[in-house]
Amino acid sequence: MLEGFNFRIIWEYMPLYMQCFAATLWLSGLSLFGAVVVGIIACAMRLSQSRIMRSMAGVYIETIRSTPLLAQLYFFYFGLPSMGIMLPEWLTGVIALTLNSGAYYAEIIRAGIQAIPFGQIEAGIASGLSYFQRMGNIILPQALGNTIRPMLGQAIILVKDSSLLSLISIMELTRAGQVLTSERFTPAEGFLTTAAFYLIIYYLLKAFSGWSEKRLIFREAH
Amino acid sequence: MKKVKVFTILVSLAIFFAFLGIASAGTLDEILKRGEIRIACQTQGAPFSFVDKNGNRTGSSVELTEMIAKEMGVKVKYLNYDWDGLIPALLSRKADMLAADMTPTLKRAMKISFTNPYMYTGSVVFVKQASPIKTLEDVKKSGTKLAVLLGSTGENDAKKAFPEAKLKTYKGGGPLLINAVLAGHTDAGVNDGSAATSQIASFPPNSVRILEGQLSNSPLAFAVRYDSPDLLSWLNLFFLHISLDGRLEQNLNYWVNSLDWKKEH
Repeated sequence: MLEGFNFRIIWEYMPLYMQCFAATLWLSGLSLFGAVVVGIIACAMRLSQSRIMRSMAGVYIETIRSTPLLAQLYFFYFGLPSMGIMLPEWLTGVIALTLNSGAYYAEIIRAGIQAIPFGQIEAGIASGLSYFQRMGNIILPQALGNTIRPMLGQAIILVKDSSLLSLISIMELTRAGQVLTSERFTPAEGFLTTAAFYLIIYYLLKAFSGWSEKRLIFREAH
Repeated sequence: MKKVKVFTILVSLAIFFAFLGIASAGTLDEILKRGEIRIACQTQGAPFSFVDKNGNRTGSSVELTEMIAKEMGVKVKYLNYDWDGLIPALLSRKADMLAADMTPTLKRAMKISFTNPYMYTGSVVFVKQASPIKTLEDVKKSGTKLAVLLGSTGENDAKKAFPEAKLKTYKGGGPLLINAVLAGHTDAGVNDGSAATSQIASFPPNSVRILEGQLSNSPLAFAVRYDSPDLLSWLNLFFLHISLDGRLEQNLNYWVNSLDWKKEH
């Protein structure tokens, strides 16, 4: 397979790939940050005492999890303008990715929090701590350790999902492969290079995951 | 040990020659042996290859390929691709030929072999009905956003004709460009005249306006791989026959030169 491989063409298009690599990094990074924030808020709403908060968060999470990201993306891209909201396409893409991953993050964080044995909360109540003191000092530090691995997993999924942004004409890694294919008719070279760049991002995330696991996992109190 | 080695060599040689046998058969022979011809086409390329309101695949190119299959005496298998996926499908041997409104550009001809043209068209610019853009000159203003199709001649024509404009390339088919223009993501769109006219007819009347003037004059042709010279000669002969007996003119008049097809499809 590799004798027919045209490395010269990949080298010729390398500036395009570097530009698109930067675009993917910054689109995914922005969406990741937004998704964690949205996830925390949605999770807090989901676990709140108020039934309205719980059902609002529930509707949001269930709608997002039950529909494909591509459908959500096209809905925002073609649907928002028909409601009068005109956004630059990168912002539409970031919003779609943020809302999508935010729902999954809400569930991950909720699972992490609910995995803490109730005995911890009882001990906190018995010691006279308030709700926020219990959350801040007992529950969340332990929950964070539980959720780090699934959160990094979802981050990797978000980076791969960012490839769908190529369909709303955003110049990112997958689009670079598509351009190489349509201009030079070399899909193998084009998409193999795209895959190699995604692999680099994956290894960066994996390294970050390893580092943060060591720092952030607190052993359960005995 | 030696017996196993000899046996392995003999078996490999046998397999090698078997493949050689298959490889040396021409594409026409392969198609006849298979009993079906595999054709790569679009699903959003009105009026050439699209899905009509009854859910059936139809269009100018689709009807021509049905004629081709009938004359060959084989069945047709249609494979759906986006515009920019047609050529890779042909090159990767998934399809025997591609049937679309593709221009035989010199760049494409470096990879695939085109038949003689069956018609001529050119790129046009279309805008929303209410747009302030009235002529091609207005489009030349810098900063105009144009929607073009990934891998199409419209993309190249737009780059050449409007170097100051900002191009937004969409992957898929012509109707995506019209949607982008109507949603306001771009000021205008550039696509083939024949495709644009027919696709706009599926949108609410008077929502899209085509500007006067063609950006280019492009032939349209079907394509095969360079390793299929027999299929290429046959297709050229086919087009000669249907030009002579009037079937090509009938097909083009129904699908391309008018909107008659809209009544039934």
